[in-house]
Amino acid sequence: MTSDHDVIIVGAGLAGGILAGVLAEGGRRVLLLERGRSLAYSEIPGDHLRNHRLTLYGDHTTPDPAGHPRVFIDGAGVPHTVLPHDARYQLNAFTVGGGARVWGMQAWRFHPDDFRMATRYGVADGSSLADWPIGYADLAPFYERAEHEIGVAGDHAGTTHAPRARDFPLPPVPRSPSAEWLARGADHLGWRTFTPPLAVNTRPYLGRGACIQCAQCIGFACPTDAKNGSHNTLLPRALASGRCTLVTRAHASRVLTDGSGQAIGVEYFAPTTTDSATLERRTARARTIIVSSGAIESARLLLLSASPLQPHGLGNHSDHLGRHVQGHAYPIAYGLLPPDVESSLLGPGVSVATTQFNHGNPGIIGGAMLANDFVKLPLIFWRQSLPPDTPRWGLANKRAMRDLFRRGIDVRGPVQEIPSPDSRVTLDPAVRDTFGLPVARLSGTTHPETVRTAEFMRARAEEWLRASGAERVWSWPAEKKFSAGQHQAGTCRMSADPRDGVTDPFGRVHGHDHLFVCDGSLHVTNGGFNPALTIMALAFRTAEHLLASP
Amino acid sequence: MSLTPSQLTALRSLLDRIIPADDFPGALAAGTDTYVLRHLLGDGSLGTNVLLLGFSQLDAESVARHGPHQTFATLLPTQQDALLADLAAARPMTPWPPPLAAAPWFHRLVELAHEGFYADPANGGNRDAASWGMLGYAPRTTPERAAP
Ligand SMILES: Cc1cc2nc3c(=O)[nH]c(=O)nc-3n(C[C@H](O)[C@H](O)[C@H](O)COP(=O)(O)OP(=O)(O)OC[C@H]3O[C@@H](n4cnc5c(N)ncnc54)[C@H](O)[C@@H]3O)c2cc1C
Ligand code: SF4
Repeated sequence: MTSDHDVIIVGAGLAGGILAGVLAEGGRRVLLLERGRSLAYSEIPGDHLRNHRLTLYGDHTTPDPAGHPRVFIDGAGVPHTVLPHDARYQLNAFTVGGGARVWGMQAWRFHPDDFRMATRYGVADGSSLADWPIGYADLAPFYERAEHEIGVAGDHAGTTHAPRARDFPLPPVPRSPSAEWLARGADHLGWRTFTPPLAVNTRPYLGRGACIQCAQCIGFACPTDAKNGSHNTLLPRALASGRCTLVTRAHASRVLTDGSGQAIGVEYFAPTTTDSATLERRTARARTIIVSSGAIESARLLLLSASPLQPHGLGNHSDHLGRHVQGHAYPIAYGLLPPDVESSLLGPGVSVATTQFNHGNPGIIGGAMLANDFVKLPLIFWRQSLPPDTPRWGLANKRAMRDLFRRGIDVRGPVQEIPSPDSRVTLDPAVRDTFGLPVARLSGTTHPETVRTAEFMRARAEEWLRASGAERVWSWPAEKKFSAGQHQAGTCRMSADPRDGVTDPFGRVHGHDHLFVCDGSLHVTNGGFNPALTIMALAFRTAEHLLASP
Repeated sequence: MSLTPSQLTALRSLLDRIIPADDFPGALAAGTDTYVLRHLLGDGSLGTNVLLLGFSQLDAESVARHGPHQTFATLLPTQQDALLADLAAARPMTPWPPPLAAAPWFHRLVELAHEGFYADPANGGNRDAASWGMLGYAPRTTPERAAP
């Protein structure tokens, strides 16, 4: 059988762009399908009511939001049909570049122990905690590659939680006065801090300009294209090779299999002509298929691709597909800076971090990195960051905004979640999308150990603010809830033994020669860090593995 | 769908108390009423249609407290604030037509007002970036180089 492509990649997000770049430069003919559009900077305006940090009334990246609901099952078992701007939808950005088009750019390597959580902590009752089938050393060269080819700014000497062979290509982001104040507070406690790694051009790099500290940043597109992802690095390289065809507004609906159950192509809906509103059903065939649609949609696509030989979905031979959904619990401690310390109103904002509590916390499983927050939008500050006893309206509220906007500070961190098999993505039996396909149904909740770790980290965050001299400190208790969102992971966990997961250690779906998954779905555990650099490292590794395979 | 003149008057007086003017512009000077109106009328969904009735109810609450013809707009600011504090605490003096209820209605208006006032000027409720000027917030988004 002949076809125009060697590889079909479903999703031109952060991982998909990297796969396309490495494979196309390596000589493979790539078809890259992306359900969103390729958006210019001007198409993602600085809209403070519709962005990926505050989707009050939507956002500017989601294609056809009404046509693609999900179903969220609440704690009482009641289903709710939800649209993308609803927090229960667990949205990441659906556009060329994926979440990284508008991300916060924290680019962390996981801690070596993040890959061996079960060995280090044992398996808590009711959890599906497991070790990864690979270790930090397997990923280290690809972390390094991601740092250099995507562009990460960082403090090489200070970033010590994971061994590093090579410096970052870009100097660290500048420290704000409030971050210096936090660093001094940590010194009092004997905690070590450093400037965290961010995928941002702190100076011109790879042909694009430097960050101008524009004061919007997270949730928005970048005015100088200094926000690094695959959309402005590996994807342009893929297209420049002449071997990658990117089809946008192309929505994959099924992985096609042959009579022996092997993947042979993809069915998708795409516009009849580039600008047409009419979508037609198409199929494409290739030797290798890579599903890279984010942890929720990748699991959904494999479930939708059930065949007579695999009636429960591709890769669901041992009932792991769609389970173990993880994101990050994110405890936050808020405080007020003393009057003589100014908070910075410059982006990106995150400029001090500690990895003191990622592991080794007595009686606690795992932990989290802690850092200060991104630059704040006035409205987000009004909604989230005023002291809890501030009147919500009238002159008192207005004065509090004026007096405290520049004095608000918070410390927060992504808590490593303890996976639960009951936290899962399935197909909804009733609700369908605009193509008539069952939508993702999200159910389950956080394992209690995650709540315990989050509470422990919340106390550390408060301690940090107090030791720094914050005038007031407050926070809200962690609670059990379904967790995925921007850091969604875990739904196609990798495993050495087919009985323990969906894919092999390279992302190849067990039992399938040419079907791969590559995105956060593969993460057995999601680390005590923002996950994207690990997703990127896995993408480089899977792509190189494919190039090395006959 | 539109507001009656008296509903509009009540809306403006309400916004003037939710975000009053002081040394810095308040909701009315920043055009936040335009934002709130656009939201209430433009959306047209059941939720927002019901919200419009609340402005008549605001006058009814005022009359119930202060006597005939004493609409919300005619009250002294201290009287207005006291009435709003009652609504916020779910202590109305008149029956609100279901599904409308005093406290949730007032809280929704408080949210809408601040959304408009503190969002970017293009949303229509923060004219000349009045609130951002008050806070010292000034995003620099002029591209040095056209980004893709
Ligand atoms: C505001 C924001 C801030 C963030 N900040 C950080 C941070 O600071 N650090 C960090 O590590 N992470 C951060 N993240 C998360 C990060 O962006 C994600 O981890 C990352 O993008 C995941 O990469 P991915 O390739 O797995 O998925 P994605 O980037 O989500 O890409 C998946 C792509 O697949 C497409 N797709 C889905 N279904 C289909 C289909 N059926 N057919 C065709 N295409 C499909 C989607 O449209 C999407 O473009 C942030 C995310 C957001 C939104
Ligand atoms: S703060 Fe810098 S990296 Fe972030 S969007 Fe603004 S210019 Fe771009």
